[in-house]
Amino acid sequence: MPLNIDPQQILLHLFNLVLLFGILYVLLYKPVHDFMDKREEEYAKREKSTKDALDDAEKLKAEYEEKILTAQKETAMERAKASAASESEREKIISDAHERADKIVSDARDKAQAEHDRLIARAQSEIAEYVSKAAEKIVMREGDIEDDFDTFFESQEVKKDNDNG
Amino acid sequence: MDKKKRTRFLIIIGCILAVLLVGIILTGNHSGHEEPIKLVMKDAVLHEENRINFLGIMLVNPAVISAYTVTAIIFIFALIVRLFVIPRFTDAPGKFQLLLEQAVGIFDGLAKSNSPQRNKFLGAYVFTAGTYIFVGTMFELLGIMVPATSGTAIALPAPLADINGAISMGVFSYCVILSGGIAGNKIKGALGTLKDFSLPISMSFRLFGALLSGALVTELVYYYITTSFVIPVLVAVMFTMLHALIQAYVLTMLTALFYGEVCTKEGPIEDGKIP
Repeated sequence: MPLNIDPQQILLHLFNLVLLFGILYVLLYKPVHDFMDKREEEYAKREKSTKDALDDAEKLKAEYEEKILTAQKETAMERAKASAASESEREKIISDAHERADKIVSDARDKAQAEHDRLIARAQSEIAEYVSKAAEKIVMREGDIEDDFDTFFESQEVKKDNDNG
Repeated sequence: MDKKKRTRFLIIIGCILAVLLVGIILTGNHSGHEEPIKLVMKDAVLHEENRINFLGIMLVNPAVISAYTVTAIIFIFALIVRLFVIPRFTDAPGKFQLLLEQAVGIFDGLAKSNSPQRNKFLGAYVFTAGTYIFVGTMFELLGIMVPATSGTAIALPAPLADINGAISMGVFSYCVILSGGIAGNKIKGALGTLKDFSLPISMSFRLFGALLSGALVTELVYYYITTSFVIPVLVAVMFTMLHALIQAYVLTMLTALFYGEVCTKEGPIEDGKIP
């Protein structure tokens, strides 16, 4: 054969190559490749579990945020309700106070009026008394002192009779 | 190191080098090579003269011995790694674990990027091919001497610097591509692969030419005593390392590319599944 090409030696080389392929595949390539695949799988698994945990945490966070929002809404509503109730209570108390104050004022007015009337009446009677006394004094200056004594004694007797019965 | 010690060290090193140079000049067959350069070069290409007895069964080119030696080295290394290193792998990799993971990861990534639908077998194959080409090419640097049938001792070459080794690698890669085509697209895939019938030839000869050129330059440099100092460090070591990396990348990349082309089904991919 030209160039010393020898089919037998080609086959010998081929045999050697196939043998080497088997050796390298079994002893080196497959174990290293398997190890790398396993590690990659492990890392992928870890990444997935981390991602899942992160997703769960995110979901939980969203859930809690929603709960907080709902609670805040409920609190605001309760607060508004309480505020409305207290407002109406306050208004009621104020109106009661107003009513009571009006009554007090009205009573006071009545009392004052009664006192006023009483004082007026008393003043009138006193004025009448003074007027009568003044009239008497005027009359006494013009008559007898004896008559005055007589009149006095008579009046005292009449008063005594009246007191006895 | 003080000045006195440094001077003594330099004198000793100088003496050793002088003695070695004299030894090289006096003992070497520099004045008349056993084989002329044309024959050496021709034998590096064709391996017609210097053949080796393979297990007492047949005479083979030195590259066959190199190929099995490389396989044995890789096997021992892989076995040690499998038994003592892989069971101690941790989630936070050390330097060696990182190196192994990187090696597997690069070829796995190459397979996945070129053939997204079917890449498990391809990944394992390109890993094997890349490792074999790299280690096989670097193996040349060891310069393991074996007795040839011609009576002289020869250094074992890179397995793929032999046309038979390169053809076997090209054919194997082609078969892998063909299998991918059949697995992915049935008859259509097989026809698609067979359409590129020049592929195994181009792959084989590209590999053979690239590695052979390195071997020939190295032979040439080592043939003359005047070029046997310092220059081999640049030419042999650096060229070999570059060849090892470049050829490992080129063949695996081409294989992955063609494999992906023939096994990919046409039509839209729905939910990451093949329609």
